[in-house]
Amino acid sequence: MAKYMSMDNLRFVLHEMLNVEELCNLPRFSEYDKDSFDILLDSVKGAADQYMYPTFRDCDHDPARFEDGKVIVHESVDTMMKQAGENGTIGMTFDYEVGGMQLPHTVEVACGHIAEAANNNLTGYTGLTNGSANLIVTFGSQELIDTYVPKMLAGKWGGTMCLTEPQAGSSLSDISTSAKLNDDGSYNIVGQKIFISGGDHEYCDNFVHLVLARIEGAPAGTKGISLFVVPKNRIQEDQSLTSNDVITAGDFQKMGQRGYCTTHLVFGEKDDCKGWLVGPENKGLKCMFQMMNAARIDVGCTAASVATAAYYASLQYAKERPQGRRILSGGVKNVEAEQTTIINHPDVRRMLLLQKSVIEGSLALLLQCSKYQDLAEHGPEDTRTQNHDLLELLTPIAKTYPSEMGRVSISNGLQIFGGYGFCTEFPLEQYYRDIRIMSLYEGTTGIQSLDLLGRKVVSKNGEAMKLLTKEMIETIKSASNYDDLKPYAEKLKEASKTLESTLMHLLQFAMNGQHERYIADATIFMELMSNVTIAWQWLKMATVAKTALVTGNMTFGSEFYENKIHTMKFYYKYELPKIFSASETLKHKDSLTILEENKAVLA
Amino acid sequence: MKQLVCISKTPETTAKINFKDGNTAFDESGVQFIMNPYDEWYALVRAIELKESLGGTVTVINVGPASNDVVIRKALAIGADEGIRVDAEPKSALYVAKQIAANAEGFDLVYCGKETIDYNGSEVGAMVAEYLDQPFVSFATKLEVEGNSATVTRDIEGGSEISKIDTPFVLSAAKGMAEQRIPNMRGIMMAKKKPLNVVEPVGFDDKVVVSSFTLPDAKTECKMIDPENMDELVRLLQEEAKVL
Repeated sequence: MAKYMSMDNLRFVLHEMLNVEELCNLPRFSEYDKDSFDILLDSVKGAADQYMYPTFRDCDHDPARFEDGKVIVHESVDTMMKQAGENGTIGMTFDYEVGGMQLPHTVEVACGHIAEAANNNLTGYTGLTNGSANLIVTFGSQELIDTYVPKMLAGKWGGTMCLTEPQAGSSLSDISTSAKLNDDGSYNIVGQKIFISGGDHEYCDNFVHLVLARIEGAPAGTKGISLFVVPKNRIQEDQSLTSNDVITAGDFQKMGQRGYCTTHLVFGEKDDCKGWLVGPENKGLKCMFQMMNAARIDVGCTAASVATAAYYASLQYAKERPQGRRILSGGVKNVEAEQTTIINHPDVRRMLLLQKSVIEGSLALLLQCSKYQDLAEHGPEDTRTQNHDLLELLTPIAKTYPSEMGRVSISNGLQIFGGYGFCTEFPLEQYYRDIRIMSLYEGTTGIQSLDLLGRKVVSKNGEAMKLLTKEMIETIKSASNYDDLKPYAEKLKEASKTLESTLMHLLQFAMNGQHERYIADATIFMELMSNVTIAWQWLKMATVAKTALVTGNMTFGSEFYENKIHTMKFYYKYELPKIFSASETLKHKDSLTILEENKAVLA
Repeated sequence: MKQLVCISKTPETTAKINFKDGNTAFDESGVQFIMNPYDEWYALVRAIELKESLGGTVTVINVGPASNDVVIRKALAIGADEGIRVDAEPKSALYVAKQIAANAEGFDLVYCGKETIDYNGSEVGAMVAEYLDQPFVSFATKLEVEGNSATVTRDIEGGSEISKIDTPFVLSAAKGMAEQRIPNMRGIMMAKKKPLNVVEPVGFDDKVVVSSFTLPDAKTECKMIDPENMDELVRLLQEEAKVL
C-alpha cells in the first residue's frame, strides 16, 4: 500500500512537540495515558488502511448521485458509519455520560488526520454527525439528547448542518426558513436548504438535521435566527419512524469530494415538518458558531491531510521516475549516463520541500490549536481564558492556511508528475480537485480573513495578539540556545515585528473611521499572519528536533530530526520572506479594490 | 477453555533495519514497533473468536522489557483477558520458548503466529510444544473446537491437510485463520484495567550465540523494456542479469 501520511511525524508533533500526554494529568483525561493514545492512533491507521485508503479513488470514480429520488453513495460509507459507530470514534470527545470517550480534541484531530489523508470523501459523514450531536448535547434538552444522540454516536443516524439557503450563503442574516410554534412545543418548519453535506443516503436509517430558521415574529438579521433539530423521520410512540416531510430535492455534482454527497433539502412542503428548538430562541447562530470553530479546525485538518497524501504520492513518484541527468561540475551533462530519478533535480526537490513545509507546518498548527482547545475547556482554571483567546485568534488561520497553501502544495506535487499529473491514472488530479472546497467550506477565505482582521486581532484590546507574541518569544528564546538556530530565531523576531507594524498601520484606518479600507485587504493580512504563524511552528519543531539530536534522546532515527531542521531552513528561505511583499501591499497608499462611485474599473 | 497466545514485538514493516556491535545485534534506535501481524491478526483474533463462542479466557504472553507493554496492552484492547510479560530480553527463539513454556502449563490451546516478520524463524511454536510435550500443528489456516477436540486445517504443498486433534496442543497460525480486528475505543480503555502480570524469567543456559547479521541484497532497479524490442530483453538477460 502506498504511503499516504506519516505516523512518525504525527507522533513527533503529539508527543515530542506538544507533549500531549500531559493532558492526562487533567481530571477529564485521567483514564488515558500515552500508550492508550498510541494504540488508538494505530487502530485508526488500521481502519484507514483496511477500507478507507483502498476506496479513495472508487469514491471519485463512482460518485455520490441523486437517482430516482434517492441519494446513492459508495458502499464504503456504510462500512465507515458502522465501524465508526461500533468503535466509538464518532463521539470520542463527548462526556462518558452521553456515551462518549472523553478523549482530548488533540487526539481526535490526530485521528482525523489519519482518516482524512486516507480518504477525505468519507470522513465528512461521521464528522458532521459528531458536530450536530455535539450541538444537541451542548444546547439541547435532555429529551432531545436521549432521543437522538445515542443513535448518532452509534453511526445509525447521520447528522447534518443546514445553514445555507439559495439566497443566503455567507450572509446568514438573510435566511428565510421559518418556524411556527405548535401547541405541543414543537415547531412547523418550512423552507429550503442547499449545499447540505451528507444530507441523505441509504446507509443511515434517519438523518438529524440541525436547521437555522426564523421563528415567526423574530427580529430581522442574525439576532432573529434560532436553531432546530429537524429529523428526516419522526419517531412515533411505538418508536417506529414516520416521514417528517423532509424531502431531498436533488444533489450538487462537484469538481471534488465527489464521494461526499451534497444535497438540496426541502422542509415542510406538505406543512408537516416538525422541528424542536435547540438552545434559546433567537440564539441559533451563536449556538451554531460554537460548533463552527471546531468545524473550521476540521476543515483545516482535512486540507492538511489531503495535501499530506498528495505529498507522499509525489515523493514516491519522484523517487521512481527516471528523467534527465544531473548537471555535473563544469556545467555539462553526461548524456551517456543512465537517467537519474527526478528527485535528484533541485527544482523537483524545491517543490517537494515546499509540500513538506506546508503540510507539516499546517499539522503542527492544527494540533497546537486543538491543545489550546483542550486546555481552554478542561485545563487549570487560571489558564483557560488565555488558551481560549489563543484558539479564537488562530482558528481562522488554522482553517485558511492549510486550505490555501495546501492547494498550492498539491499543485506543486502535480507538477512533479509532469503531464501524468494531469491524467486520471495518478491520484494528484483528484487531490487537487478534492482540496479546492476547503477554502470555501465553513466560511470562505475572505470570511476567515474578515474574522481575523476585523474581529480576532482586535478583540479584548488585542489581548490575544499579545499572548501569541508571548508564545513566539518563548520559542525564540528556546531556539536561541542553539547557535545554528539563532539566525532563524532572529528572523522570526523580525517577522513578528513586521506583523505588528503592519497591523498598527492598518489600525489607523479603523481608528479614523475608514473601516472598509481597514478590512479591504484582509486576505493579504491573512497571508502575512499565517506565514509568520507557520514560521513560528517550524522554529518550534526545529528546536525540539535539535534538542533530540543534542541529547540523543531520540524516538526516531537521527535523519528524521535532521530533516525537520532542514525543512525549517527551507521555509525560512523560500516562504517567510513573502511577508515583506505582503506588508508592502498592505501599507501601500493606494486602495485599488474599494468601489468608487462613477468609476467602472471592472467594466 | 483456557487459551494462551504468544505475541512478539516486531519492527514496523517500513522500518529501516540496521545492526550494531559488529553486526551482532539489531539496532533499535529510531525503529517503531508493532505486534507481529501473524500473532495479532490470526492467532489472537481466532482465540478471541473462540472465547466469544465457547467461553473461557484468552491470556497473552510476551517475553521482553517494559517497553513491550504497549504491545500487550493492544492485545488486551483487542479482547484478551490478561497479559503476562516475562521480564527478560528475548535472546533467542529457544530462550523465548523456554520462558513461554514455563508459563504455559494448564492451557488447552497455545497459539503462535506462523513466524515473526523480523527474523522469520518459525521456531518458537514447535519449541514450546516440545517443552510442554504437546502436539504441534504448524501453518494452521482454520481452527474449529468442539469440547476437547479440534479440527485444524493447515496449508501444505499444493493443497491443505485437515487434522483432528485433542487439546491440549500448540499451533502456529497463518493467514486465513481470522480477519484482522481493530481495537475499539472501549477496548482500549478497558485494556488499562485488565491484569498485566510481570514475571521473572526462569534460569536457562542459552547456547545460542549470534555471529553476525547481514542485510539481504538491495532490491535491484527495475528496467522497462519495450515489448517490441525482444532482442534488447534477451541481451540484458544474458549480459547484465546473466540468467540466460
